[in-house]
Amino acid sequence: MHVTVISPEAAMFDGEADAVVAPAFDGEVGILPRHAPFMTLLGTGTLVVRQGGTARRFSVRGGFLQVVDDRVRVVTEHVQGAPDEA
Amino acid sequence: MAKGRQLKGRIRSVQNTRKITKTMELVATSKLKRAQDRVVAARPYAAALREVIADLVTPELAERFPLLRRPAAPGKGGPRRAAIILITSNRGLAGGFNANLIKEARRRMEALEAEGYEPELYGIGKKGIGFFRYLGRKFATERVDIGDRPTADHAAEVVQPLIEAYERGELASVDLVYAQFQSAISTPPATVRILPVAAPEAKAAEKGIRPDYILEPGPDELLAKLLPLYVRNALYRGLVETAAGEHGARRTAMKNATDNAGEILEVLKRTYNRQRQAAITQEISEIVGGAAALQG
Repeated sequence: MHVTVISPEAAMFDGEADAVVAPAFDGEVGILPRHAPFMTLLGTGTLVVRQGGTARRFSVRGGFLQVVDDRVRVVTEHVQGAPDEA
Repeated sequence: MAKGRQLKGRIRSVQNTRKITKTMELVATSKLKRAQDRVVAARPYAAALREVIADLVTPELAERFPLLRRPAAPGKGGPRRAAIILITSNRGLAGGFNANLIKEARRRMEALEAEGYEPELYGIGKKGIGFFRYLGRKFATERVDIGDRPTADHAAEVVQPLIEAYERGELASVDLVYAQFQSAISTPPATVRILPVAAPEAKAAEKGIRPDYILEPGPDELLAKLLPLYVRNALYRGLVETAAGEHGARRTAMKNATDNAGEILEVLKRTYNRQRQAAITQEISEIVGGAAALQG
């Protein structure tokens, strides 16, 4: 599935991923490919985008996450890239 | 040769000015490129927000959200205060850039006054603030620290108090006067109404929320969170576009100044050389004349 992480200043991530774990307002949500259309508000926490064996982490605050047609869109005012983990 | 020396002085002065304007042109060009990248980078976020809000807004919901509701006219007990956010640059030497923005803001203020509102100014950028201060107009807030690298936080700081005042029903509207960045050479001033929010229209085919859409929490709560984001983003885009527009306008202005300096230099140099030649010719003919007189 295709994942984009967008802040007002720039697109922080744009690419394919196997799984996304996002801090929703009421707890973490995991998104896998072929997820049903979905939209949720985000809280504060770490967003993880997994691709193969690697993961990109971002710390986010506020904004929302949207899944439509196997495309995940994370839109938030406050997002910062965190160091990658293996 | 007094005249010749004066000319030489002017030539040197024009040359120095040209050096400065040429440098400013180059600096503006490189800053423009970076500012332009920021305008482009801001687009996906704005597009995503617009799309999502268009999906969520329905006429029934619109009535319930203060940010979407249009307040009553001042004659019918509605609020009289109307905010105008004016974005200008902190520095001049950009041709008519700031003057055009100020003109646009004044036009807007007069239009609001004619409708019975009391316009309030929120200034961003030294040039606009300086002008209205000179006219003796007070600003509700003045920001000169944003400069040409605006962030989403800057936008939030300015607009958040306005959103809150609007929700309390104290403000009738919020207008934003900024420079639209159409291209590096076209940066016309523009006014957009950022409050009440004009809900973006969904594409006809996708009207309404899709039935299988899972929304968490409900559409109400989502909209309540997203509308302020949308308003903040409108101001952020204004800031980014104006910053890019400033550099574009300055580059054009400085290019013209450099070209004009070149033209003036050509005329001055030609005059100087002609005078020098005339003086030499005169001296020679004097010497020849003197020699002929001695012989005779």
